Amino acid sequence: MITGEQKPFEEIWNMVKDFKKVLVFGCNTCVAICHAGGSKEAEILASLLRMRAAQEGAAIEINHAAVERHCEPEFFQPGMDNVRTYDLILSTACGVGVNLLSEHIGDIPVFPAINTEFFGAVPRSGEFTELCAGCGNCILHLTGGICPIARCSKSLLNGPCGGTNNGSCEVSPDIKCAWVQIYDRLKQLNRLDLMNEIVDAKDWSKAQGPRNFKVKLLEEIKK
Amino acid sequence: MDKVVQSSEQAKAPSIEKSHETPEGWEPNILAFACHYCAFAAADLAGVMRLSYSPNVKIIRLPCTGKLDQIYVLRAFEKGIDGVFVAG
Repeated sequence: MITGEQKPFEEIWNMVKDFKKVLVFGCNTCVAICHAGGSKEAEILASLLRMRAAQEGAAIEINHAAVERHCEPEFFQPGMDNVRTYDLILSTACGVGVNLLSEHIGDIPVFPAINTEFFGAVPRSGEFTELCAGCGNCILHLTGGICPIARCSKSLLNGPCGGTNNGSCEVSPDIKCAWVQIYDRLKQLNRLDLMNEIVDAKDWSKAQGPRNFKVKLLEEIKK
Repeated sequence: MDKVVQSSEQAKAPSIEKSHETPEGWEPNILAFACHYCAFAAADLAGVMRLSYSPNVKIIRLPCTGKLDQIYVLRAFEKGIDGVFVAG
């Protein structure tokens, strides 16, 4: 899932203070799970902004709403007539949602209330960790299901480097050395032979944007 | 030097609340959220014992203070409550 954290309140206030009618627009999927931009957080943010506006003597109407997803138009299209009555949409969706809503909304600005970070796992409630970088060319079958692109600080394909230190990375003792983890996992799977396989230099063109793809079968059906 | 230290501290944690003069005789409006099973029962007992407390405290009973949502507190402040008291 996509993870994100709410921007500092002052930054958000400076974005909205010059508008007259603001909708804090939440997304109830990924960013709701990371307690940053779901319906609940949109409601809280709208309340905080209303109180700030009252303290500053600024006449701003601030409301909140949320849809299940901002990354697919069919989820927000039904409510667009209402959304278009505002001067500013302060989106608490991820950056994908802000981009897509901007494309569809017409001449109303859409501002981000959260900083989108990475797509990650939720090992425990409220804890998020990056396990995949979406590089476009997966080698997890060679690395025991542990991604060196996302989990090695240097994204080494044939690690470890000299900075590995008793299972930790030289960057921080809190970061586990991905290549030690890969070694341990391959040992457990009885596939240490894979450590000797040399992975060629990576084709990073698949990791750089703008990226898109279409499902070929659906394309053929449409024809 | 003191001023420099003070201003850097203020920059770190800017106060949202603006200072203003308190009118004479002003009493704060306090909203209390109380758990049905403990604090509300205590307030009830206080009533039975004919103990009096200030009329500017209003009590809302919750089935449990675990039911208290952030938005209840924020709505209270938005509607002009000066302080929220949570007991449970």
